[in-house]
Amino acid sequence: MTLDEYLLAALRLGAGHDSVPDHVAAAAKEAYALRVPDAEIAYPVACDATRAVRGDDGQRLVRFAAPGLTVDVEVSVDDGLIDLAGQVTPPLGLGGHVDVRTMQLTLRREVAPDGHFTATGLPPGWFSLKCHRPGEAPVVTAWIRIRA
Amino acid sequence: MTDVALLLQAAADGDESAWSKLVAMYGPRMWAAARALGLGESDAADAVQGAWLRLLENLGRIRNPSGVGAWLATTTRREALLILRKGPMTLPASEAPCEPDPEAAFLEADSVRRLWQFVTQLPEPCRTLLQLVATAAGTQQAAVRLGVPRGSVGPTRARCLQKLRTMFSLEEKVP
Repeated sequence: MTLDEYLLAALRLGAGHDSVPDHVAAAAKEAYALRVPDAEIAYPVACDATRAVRGDDGQRLVRFAAPGLTVDVEVSVDDGLIDLAGQVTPPLGLGGHVDVRTMQLTLRREVAPDGHFTATGLPPGWFSLKCHRPGEAPVVTAWIRIRA
Repeated sequence: MTDVALLLQAAADGDESAWSKLVAMYGPRMWAAARALGLGESDAADAVQGAWLRLLENLGRIRNPSGVGAWLATTTRREALLILRKGPMTLPASEAPCEPDPEAAFLEADSVRRLWQFVTQLPEPCRTLLQLVATAAGTQQAAVRLGVPRGSVGPTRARCLQKLRTMFSLEEKVP
């Protein structure tokens, strides 16, 4: 129950026996480097395609939407690492590209003329895509967590 | 503007040291919120990081800066609940920044201090039990220390927290 959990959290906080590990605080500080001022944010939306592939093992396809841009991403896991196959609609145009962002690394991916891009062998954890559109504000997807 | 509002504004404007101050101020309550749900260190770390990433996304959109501590604790709790569902992906629950849970106010420093004062006034077994659960002792250890069957720890804990809540709310009503 929510109230009991907050009470317990407050007691744990006051007891001081389980303080924040250094690496957790360090990761939170480092996250600031991933700030994208003035970006449009694309949030997950439901669509027929994401519903169709929601099997027993859970959702593997996610659609993000921002004004004027949709990003579909299919997630697969290979040997403990994450592969992404995505499509940006409409295509980003000449000079447009996608940054696949994780806590550990950012990978720049060129987008094919039909809007497709891929990234493979990524560590599981938090992910966001940053879509660079020539002459327009970048679009970043809301952060999602992918498990191996 | 309050100190917190200034820090949020500075962080939104590119001041990394302001962000680090926010991490130092609110990180402990977020960690406690995740751990109180029973998450192990790795999952709790992911839940806390998720909440910081949500704040980063919404830095310019925080409507009530003085409530950002409650918002971060609430967001951590929601990320933790999503992680507990064990799906292959955890997506943000909603587009807009969520409203903070009112109960997140227990994590304010003043409330934490007063809750512990009340714990020391509770009769046994509540006093010892709540001290044990707050210091990360498992159910088995709590049962042994209290000399009660293991299965009775959960219900006793719920009764003790109820007593604690009653003391807290009684005091709230005294001017």
